[in-house]
Amino acid sequence: MFQEVVQQIVNGLVLGSTYALIALGLTMIYGILGIVNWAHSELYMLGAFVGVFMVVTLHLPFLVGLVLAMAVMAVFGMAMDLLVFRPLRSAPEMNMIIGTLGISIFLVQAAVIVFSPNPVRFPTEFSDSYLSFMGISITLQRLMVFCVTLVLIGILNYIIKYTIVGKAMRACEQNSDAAKLMGIDINQISLITCAIGAALAAAAGTLVGPIFLVSPQMGLAAISKVFAVVILGGMGNVPGAIWAAFILGLAESLTAGFLSSYYKDIVTFCILIAVLIVKPAGLFGRSQIEKV
Amino acid sequence: MKNILTAQKIGIVSAVAFALVLPLLGFKSYYLHIAVLSLLHILLALGLNLIAGYAGQLSLAQAAFFGIGAYVSALLMLNLHWSFWLAAPVGAVVSGLVAVAIGLPTLRLKGPYFVISTMGFGEIVRLVFLNWESVTRGPNGLNGIPAPDPISLGFMTLSFETRTESYYLILFVLFGVLLLYYNLVHSRIGRALRAIRNDYIAAQVMGIHIAFYRILAFGTCAMIAGLAGALYASYIRFISPDTFTSGESINILIMMVIGGMGTIIGPIIGAVFLTYLLETMRVFAEYRLVIYGLLMFVVILYMPQGVAGMLGDLWRRITAHQKKGV
Repeated sequence: MFQEVVQQIVNGLVLGSTYALIALGLTMIYGILGIVNWAHSELYMLGAFVGVFMVVTLHLPFLVGLVLAMAVMAVFGMAMDLLVFRPLRSAPEMNMIIGTLGISIFLVQAAVIVFSPNPVRFPTEFSDSYLSFMGISITLQRLMVFCVTLVLIGILNYIIKYTIVGKAMRACEQNSDAAKLMGIDINQISLITCAIGAALAAAAGTLVGPIFLVSPQMGLAAISKVFAVVILGGMGNVPGAIWAAFILGLAESLTAGFLSSYYKDIVTFCILIAVLIVKPAGLFGRSQIEKV
Repeated sequence: MKNILTAQKIGIVSAVAFALVLPLLGFKSYYLHIAVLSLLHILLALGLNLIAGYAGQLSLAQAAFFGIGAYVSALLMLNLHWSFWLAAPVGAVVSGLVAVAIGLPTLRLKGPYFVISTMGFGEIVRLVFLNWESVTRGPNGLNGIPAPDPISLGFMTLSFETRTESYYLILFVLFGVLLLYYNLVHSRIGRALRAIRNDYIAAQVMGIHIAFYRILAFGTCAMIAGLAGALYASYIRFISPDTFTSGESINILIMMVIGGMGTIIGPIIGAVFLTYLLETMRVFAEYRLVIYGLLMFVVILYMPQGVAGMLGDLWRRITAHQKKGV
């Protein structure tokens, strides 16, 4: 029983890490650019495929492949900002969602055509090593997902809190007009935000690709969970998204382990609806009154 | 202005006439099947248009309400031996009530909460159809769903067994829905919905109860989808969870967006056109979605009113040109 609980908690942390890495980019893009990016989880999917290419095809060490996948997807994220977000920026919110949903369909189907719809295995040098402790064995890959996520969150936190770029990002999030008046180049900040968001999503894809499988549909499976995380954390709220991701990840894997895996998607949805009824601004958000 | 009205009238009358004589033109039975599916898709796209096009809130659960209508009416007919004429309205109403329950917590809020909840909800409905095996028979689906009972008019009996008969049944339901739809959209309710879509705060200041009208629109949207589901179940005689996926919701969305959101004619054009392509170009399914995805982005960006808006613009330009010439 004890071992089972620990195992599910480990799974929950892995799941939570994935959600956190994807949700961070999504919530930042919403907070700073005001875009609801329905295609965000496709960055996670494409990142996983780039990771497979780097590690399996080019035989690079896993961590090098991870960094390269993040770099490639950061460039992709900037392209997305220029080609997709910038034209959509002044559109009504629903049109933004429909537009990015179109891009999401496009990317998934393009991936199906290029990579075939079948899931791909992604073996790494860490997949077969286990860490045994008090009768519990954890693959090194799972441990690494969690540790790398913590490191990345730490780096992101440093960037947002202590660098000039981070300060500019926070300014844009609070009031983009005032930020513009202070001489902040909004276009540049949104490019940087998209690059960071895409790199984090790519990191998630490359990290969990070896645990699950890599397929063009993996993004679609994640998107509603990630949105649930962003809402629970409060739209645009970075620390909130991190906490919410781990809460949902744990809730989901404990339900799957002790009730039935059939209920695990329902649990996320029930938590989401409950939060929307009780505290629509999210567990960690402050409700705002809109001013004219 | 007069020109536009007469052109519209001519267009509508000829479309109605064409729809009425279509089964008599001697097309292959397969094309009649596509026509029936088009009619059902028109209902679904019109329903979605009410909440998305008029109220400005996107729903990704249209296939779920389609499925609820289909399953509820099919189960009532199979297990309780209800008549179709009772089971179908009940299916539609159940669908609408479920939508109200989803709308109550989510449609009060401003922001993308609603669309995300509907997406999660759609997925859950599919999981329920798939896993509640004692009722829905899981992945095997329900078969042997009866056709609507014949109606006796005294001098003749209307039956609904064949494809042609089903076509006329669904066509007349569609005409009825369109009549109500037109009146709804041009009533106080339709104006309130558009006011909310165009300016949330101004509408609120004017005393429009935002949540009430949005929930009303969503409930109606789901009822239309539920009705389409009941008609579908009795036409195709077999339903399974595979039909009611998020992919289907997205198909309906694409039809509405490309045809033209916020117009009545748009979803009709989109549904007819895309159902035809969907059925006849199954071979190119993969490439089709790549193109539709990009098309959806381009349409929403450069012509948010879709084909219908484009046609309207074109017509206005032509008439303006004529006036100048005179």
